[in-house]
Formats: sequence, structure tokens, C-alpha cells
Amino acid sequence: MNNKPTSSKQAPAARQQPQPAATSNQQRPAQPIIQNMARVTDPKHVPKEIRDQFLKKIHFCSQPYDFNDDTKNVKEKQERSQYLQELFDLLKEPNFVVNLVVPHLDLIIEMIEKNIFRPLPILKKTATNGEIGMEDDDQLIDPAWTHLQPVYEYFLQLIVNEQPDVKSLKIFITHSFIQEFLELFDSEEPREREYLKNILHRLYAKLVPRRKMIRKAINDCFYTLIHETYKFNGAAELLDILASIISGFAVPLREEHVIFFKTVIIPLHKVQTCQFYHEQLLRCSMLFLSKDPTLATFLVEGLLRYWPFANSAKEVMFLNELLEVLEVCEISKLEPLIPKLFKRLIKCIAGPHLQVADRAMCFFENDYFLTILKSYKPFTFPLLVPVIAQIADTHWHKVLQESLNALKTILKEIDYQAFDKALNNKDPKYLYIIQDAKNQKKDRQKIEEKWKNLTKQAIQKNPNFKEPIVPYSDTHIVGEHNGLNNGNITIL
Amino acid sequence: MSENPFEVLKEDMENEEVYLKVNAMHRVKVVATLLGSDKIKSQLIPYFETLLKKEDDEVLFALAEELGNIAQIIPNQSSCLLSLLEQLAGFDETVVREQAVKSIAIVCGFLGDNDIANTIVPMIIRLASNDTNFTCRVSAVCLMCPLYARAGNQKEKIRQKFTELCSEETPMVRRAVATKIGEIAQFMDKIHVIQDLIPVLKQLCQDEQDQVRLLCMESLMNIAKILNSSENKTNILPLIIQSAEDKSWRVRLALSKIFADLAEAVGKEIADSSLIQIFSNLLKDTECDVRVIAVRSLARFIKFVSPEKLNLIVPLLQLLSKDPFSQVKQYACEVIGQIATLLPKEYSQSKLQQYLIDLMADDNQDVRRNAAKSAGQFAAAIGPEALNQFVPFLKKCMDDPKWRVRKETMQTIIQLALTVKNPDVFNKQLESVFVMFLKDRAAEVRSMGLIQLPALIATYKQDWAIGNFLSKCIETLSKDVGSLYRINALYAIQQISFAVDGPIAQDKLWPIVQKCLKDPVPNIRFVSIKVAKSLQKKIDNQQTLNQIKQSINELLEDPDRDVKFYAQEALQN
Repeated sequence: MNNKPTSSKQAPAARQQPQPAATSNQQRPAQPIIQNMARVTDPKHVPKEIRDQFLKKIHFCSQPYDFNDDTKNVKEKQERSQYLQELFDLLKEPNFVVNLVVPHLDLIIEMIEKNIFRPLPILKKTATNGEIGMEDDDQLIDPAWTHLQPVYEYFLQLIVNEQPDVKSLKIFITHSFIQEFLELFDSEEPREREYLKNILHRLYAKLVPRRKMIRKAINDCFYTLIHETYKFNGAAELLDILASIISGFAVPLREEHVIFFKTVIIPLHKVQTCQFYHEQLLRCSMLFLSKDPTLATFLVEGLLRYWPFANSAKEVMFLNELLEVLEVCEISKLEPLIPKLFKRLIKCIAGPHLQVADRAMCFFENDYFLTILKSYKPFTFPLLVPVIAQIADTHWHKVLQESLNALKTILKEIDYQAFDKALNNKDPKYLYIIQDAKNQKKDRQKIEEKWKNLTKQAIQKNPNFKEPIVPYSDTHIVGEHNGLNNGNITIL
Repeated sequence: MSENPFEVLKEDMENEEVYLKVNAMHRVKVVATLLGSDKIKSQLIPYFETLLKKEDDEVLFALAEELGNIAQIIPNQSSCLLSLLEQLAGFDETVVREQAVKSIAIVCGFLGDNDIANTIVPMIIRLASNDTNFTCRVSAVCLMCPLYARAGNQKEKIRQKFTELCSEETPMVRRAVATKIGEIAQFMDKIHVIQDLIPVLKQLCQDEQDQVRLLCMESLMNIAKILNSSENKTNILPLIIQSAEDKSWRVRLALSKIFADLAEAVGKEIADSSLIQIFSNLLKDTECDVRVIAVRSLARFIKFVSPEKLNLIVPLLQLLSKDPFSQVKQYACEVIGQIATLLPKEYSQSKLQQYLIDLMADDNQDVRRNAAKSAGQFAAAIGPEALNQFVPFLKKCMDDPKWRVRKETMQTIIQLALTVKNPDVFNKQLESVFVMFLKDRAAEVRSMGLIQLPALIATYKQDWAIGNFLSKCIETLSKDVGSLYRINALYAIQQISFAVDGPIAQDKLWPIVQKCLKDPVPNIRFVSIKVAKSLQKKIDNQQTLNQIKQSINELLEDPDRDVKFYAQEALQN
């Protein structure tokens, strides 16, 4: 199986500078281990005192401190940073790693766990006086970060290091380790997430026997995001990792991966915080499609199904993705989706939001899309032509009106006869989208009448029958099920 | 003319708009009523099957709900709906499957115990054993709770499956179990709770995910409710101790939230001997959000421990009232007020009074506001003799720059006056603070005093109203302090007029109002008209009545439109 991640991520930004305090601390008996090690002639037999010193320092770094308060334990914290630096330096010499680090991997991993596996802090935002919808530019900073960063850097270098082999590392990377590790991805601190991403990425690359388990844990993480929490700060980072995992998938895709695509990648689109990770999600989607183009129709279906409501920014994102995905679709497979697809496009074009309309108009500049349009002429023309022809005359924005007219010309050029025929259609199916609410009500009258009759009959049959309450009415666009009472909004 | 109901449904479901389809779906019970059970089975259900694959989640959500309604139409044959509901219970979309679970419970309401054991339990087990979809397993957990009691000889099977799911690798399932374990315990025999549930509860309380541990807290409380004291001591208490030391503040916060209920559930004995100690640590937690929630629970918690143990809480309150985080202090105030009603008077006076007084001068207005409120409670608990120690500070609070603080203080003063009911104390201590409402800058405070005035007059009688209080009103009216204050004083006089006899109204009040009817400010003139009108109802003397009428009559020619209007209105009736 060719599961090797291809893209190699650049190492995170420069490490913290060594503390100047380290040099002024010379009077302390604890000399840097690295100097002592350098004096050892036979590295295979590390003298006991050096080993003890090493273990003592690891132990020291495992102690928890309150990093939120800079005034507490100042001396210990300084010492801790110095030791971490020493431990870090040891990794540079393969000899030391083999003889000192690897035999004590258990304690080292424990030290790392004790430091990073912590309940994530609540980072207090400074007064949110920004306008609604404005992005908060203030980065939230975890005061403990400067003390955590060296641990993460150490962990990363430990994994990158060639010496600790898969066998010895594997023992520590258990399911519960990965689960706790993944929980940290919810951190608000972007630099922490960057480290987490890089470390997990390396772990995945290195520990082949653990790959399946890691993938499953990531899946669970996404399931939680989709079904329960709807928000997860590290979604973008996890998708980044996934992107490289996916590009390592062998073709044809295994059943397991197809299920992943259908139960995670597609539903991720519907989450309300989707805009925070859409770029990465799109990348993953496209990678999947490059491995198996037949998945494209499922994605198109998913996009149409989870189309955003009252969120124009997300609509633009969806339109971008839709066009990209359509280009991968085999035209003959699209047939069942054509009505839904074109109806959605018409809605976007006729909708009140200019950017959305503009984005939707861009579809008609795409050759592949025009091919789809032509291939399904008997369906698409009767849908499109009457609506386009009407709003080309009436649209409120001049630029859009021009492009609508241009589109009209294109459609005419494609097939003049079909265009004419569609235009003179007596009962254009989608014209209601651009009708006002009153007309729509008139159209509904007949069937509403039928329902009324039936309800009467039901009451006759059963005197206790209670008339059904329908959630959506002319004055309730969101529906009473949502607990909102938007009495003043009318359906358009 | 008669339509085929099934065809109408299908026609409406052909609609392009999802919301219209949802509406149509909600009318299904019309169709079901008209079709009758045979056709429901032969036409409707197969049709719904086809919808499952192609419809949007919104429509399926409506379908899941309506299936529950159809069950009520054909109660005896509702088991035919189960296959559909089972499929919906395994759906990806959370709301759809939750609704399906609810409808299954409705259907089960119509089934006999035999059917439950033979149809429903196997269905639950089937869902619980679905390895590919965790959603099925979550739904199974939700179904186990309401149906366990009716599972008959299949209970064992459900218990076994439930405990099995507790050790799931999938966190979503463990979370569902953690939420429901307290609920299902309510339906179990105690022996099974202790034998089967407590071990898994222990395991869940040590879960690696803090989300799971957090959800256990509520369940912990529910299980504690059904155990007796010694069982709680061996089973629940260790878990409480462990959770109070949890490394995740989220868990500690969840525990703090339910601590009062937990104390109620485990009973006084354990609360006294152990919970106070545990709770003390939560009140001293390093995370300020935990402290805030803990101190909020404290107000209720103190009701569930023995009064003689409360002195253990007092040092904590002293600590909390100096907390760097103002929200903590804010809620600590409330507790101080409440605990004073439970502690011996001298004790609270010596240990807490000064802290409360300090809080009344806090930097944060919410703290001051709550402190003023609690001061009333505190003083009422100690008795009138404590009042003179608080009044100077309450008076200071009436000078607070924030009107919310002043409003709360005014409220406190009024409450105190209404509880002590002692004219001596009132005249000496409270009245001088109360009358400050007449001169307050904020309308809220002024109207607060006005609204409560009738109650005060009822308590301290008209002697006070026409004596001291009236003179304060006159003072406000005569000083040129701005029309809004004078209007307020006029309304106060109106309130007095409701309570006094006719002659007094005539001799004492009418002359004041008469003067105000000639005030240069139009608003005062028309308010005076209103007050004069209520005086009219009290006074019997014809001569004075004529005087009143005469004065109002003069205002018919007033240059101000509004004054004219009110004068006309007054003369009409």
C-alpha cells in the first residue's frame, strides 16, 4: 500500500532562544549533560551519574507549574526551560539519542504528556466592542504558551529524529494517547495547533502500524464536529493532515475510504462553522475526486442538499466548489441531479444578493458547464430560458442585467429553436422563483383548497381530529420548528 | 368532488420547494385518518419507504414526527411503522434520529409488554450492534432508557448491551451513555444499579475525554438520588471526590453546577461529613469560572447541610468576598445575605457583617448592587438593632453614581421598612434614606419609591404620610429643583390622597395642589389637574369642590394644548 504522505510541511518557526540565565547559573552543580556526555569515551556505557542526572532533569520538567502567573515559581520555571533546552540539544547527537534517550523513552513521553495533556484554557477575549460580523483581529494568546512551546518543539524533533524506531515509539502511541492528542487541536492558540499538526503528521508518516487507528480517531473527531459540537478550532489543521493522507491513498480507493468521503467529507459542508476550514475541505474533496472521479456526483448531490440558508458568504463558497466539482463529473452521470442543480443556480441568479448572483453567472463562462447545459438541452432550456429572459429585463442591477442579456444571447446561439420554444412555454416550471409572494399564494390556492376539503372529511370521520399545524406559512419563513417567530418576514 | 387523499399528498410532495414538502408532510395525519389502517399499510408506508432515500433532512424530520401521529390514529396496528422508524433512527442527521426515537417511544406506548419483549428489544439490540453506524448505537442508548422498565425478561439483555456500550471506542457513543446512565438507573432495580451501572459509571468518570467525564456529573446526581446513605458513601462519594480533583476545569465546573442538588441527593449526613470539605476546594479553585459557578451553587447548598456545620463555610465566604474576580464577589454577597438567616445572630455579626459592608463599597457596580440587596436580608435576619450599623452605608449607596445600585438600595430600604414594621425604627433610621427617592436623578429610582409608597403608608399610617413625609414633598415642590422632581412629588401627594380622610385631603393637600395648578411649567399644571381630580373623589365639602372645579375651569383657557386637554377631560366626568 502506498500510504506515504507526499507533501512535507516546513518545520515551524524558529525555536525559542536559549535563556541567558542558563549561563549565569554555572555555580549550580548540575552541569549541562551534553558536556558530560561529550567526555564519555564509550557512549555505549553511559556512567550512572550522567544517567541519573538525565533522569532527574526529565523528572523536573514533568512537574506542573501555574504558567498563567508569571510571578510564581520564577526560578523553577527558568530552570525548567534550561533543562528542556539541554534535553533538546541531546537530540542533535545520534549517539546520545541511542544510548540515553531511547532507553528512557517511557519517561520522556510521560514528561511530554504531563506537559501538553491539559484541559484547554478559556482564553478571555478583551471586550468585544467590534461590530457584529466583524472579524476579531486580536489573537487570543495563551499565557502558558511560551512554556509549552519548548516541549512541543522537543516532541517534534524527537519524532523527526531517525533514531527512535517505530517499534519503540509505537508502544506509547496508543488509542487513548491519540484521542487526548486530538482534543488539543481545539486549542485557540494557532501556534499550538501548528505544532500539533506537524507532530501528528510525522507520527502518521512514521508509525505505519498505527495509521488505521489514527485515521479512526480523526474520524471520530469529525463526527463530533458534525453531529454534536458544530465547532472545532483544529478542523482546518486536521484537514491539512488528511489532505496528505488522502494523496497517499492507493487507487482504486478502498471501501473504507469511500465511506469516509460520504460520511465525513460531504457532511462537513453542512456545519455552520464551515467557512473556517472550507479551503482545506475543498482541497481534500478535490484530492478524493482525483483518485476516484465517480465520487463527484455524490459531492454535487451533497452540496445541493446542504445548500446554505441565509448565509451569502457561504453560498459563494459553495458556488465556487460546485463549479470545480462539476468539472470532474462525468456528464452522463449527472442526469438525476440536473433539475436540482439548475433550480439552485436560478435561485442564486434571481436572489437578492449580488455577489451570489454574480458568482452563479460565472458558471456560464465555463466551457465544461456549457457542455453540460447543452447535453441536457431538453431539460435545461425550459428551466433556464423563461427565467433568464424575464430577469434580464427587470434585474435591479445594471451590470448583472448586462451579463444576463449576454447569457440570453449565448442561449440563443446554442439553439435558437429550443430557446424560442422554451420562451413561449405556457407553464414554465421555475418562473415562480422570481414571482412575488402574492402570485405564489394564488398558485397554491388549488391544492390548499383540496387540503381544506380533506381536513373537513377527516373531521367528519373522526370528530376528535385536530387540524394539523403546518410549520411554514406566508409569514413564517424559518418555520416554527426552529423556535423563531419571524412574523415579519415573507417568503420570496 | 371527493379527492383521493393519497394522490393529494403525492401531488403536494412533487413540489419543488422543501418548505412546502415539509408542510405537506405535516398534513399526513389528514391522509392517514381518511385512508384507514389497511391503506396506510399498503399505500402510505411503501410510499414513505421511497422517500427515505431521496428526501431532504427537513422532510424526513417531519416524517419522523408524523409517524408518531399516525401511531395515534392506528394505535392497535402501530407496529407497522417501526421498520421505517428504525431506519430513521440510524440516520446521520441528529435531529432526524432524535425525533425518530421520540416517535418510537410513542409507538411503544401502544404496544403490549409482549410486543416490547419480542419486537422492540430485538430492534434495540439490533441498533446497538450496528458496527458501521455509530448513529444507530446512539439511538439505541436513547431507546433503552424509556423501555427498560417494560422489557420483562429481556432486561438482562439490555443491561448487558448498555454496559457493553460504555466501553465503546467511539466517543460519541460513550457520551450518549454518560448522559443516559443516570436516567436508565431510575428504571432499574437497585441491585442492578449497584452491580452493573456503578462499575461502568466509575469507568466513565475516568474516561480520557473530559467531555465524557463532564456528562457523568448529572448522571452521578441522579444515581445518588436512588441510593441510600451508606450506598452513596461507598459508591458515589469516591467519584465526587475524584471529580472535584479532576484535571479538567470543565469537569470541576460541571460538578460545581450541580453541587447543591448533589448535596440534596446524598442527604445531610454525607453532606455534613464530606461534601463541605470537597466543596470548599471547589470554592477555592484556581479557575475563576469554577469559583463563580461554585459560589452560585453555594447559596442553595447551605440549605442542605446542618446549621452547626455552616461555620465551616464562613471563612470561605470571607475569602470569596475578597476574590479578585468581581463576579465571584457578586454572588458571594447573595450567600452572605442568605447564610445570615441560618447562622446565630452574633456569629454572623462578628464574622460577616464587616465583609458585607466592605462589599457595599466595592469597585464593581454589580457587586455593590448585590451587596445592598443582601444587606437588607442580613439586617432583617439580625433584627432592628443591626439596622443602625447598616443605615449609614445604605445612605452612602443612595449616593452611588450608578442608578442600578441606588434602585436596589431603595428596594432594600423599602423591604426593610415593610418587614420591621416598627415606627420608631422607621422614623429614626429608614425614613431619612427612603425620602431620598424624591430627589434622585434617575426616573427608575423615583418611580420605585412611588410604586412602593402605598404599602409604606399602609404600614406606617397616615400620621406619617401627612406629617414628616408630606413636609418632604412640600420641600421638594417649593424648592426650584426642576420640574421632573416636582412632578414626582405631586404624584406622591396623589398617593397620600388615596390613603387619607376627606377633611385632611381638603385642609392639607388641596392648598398645595391649588398652588401647583398655577405653576409656570405646563407639565406641572396638567399633573396637578390629575391630582386634583383624585382629591375631588375624597372631599365632601361643596365649597372646596367648587374651588377645585373653578381652578380647573380656569385652565381651559391655558395656552398649552396638553393642559387644555387634561382640563377638558377632568371636567367631562
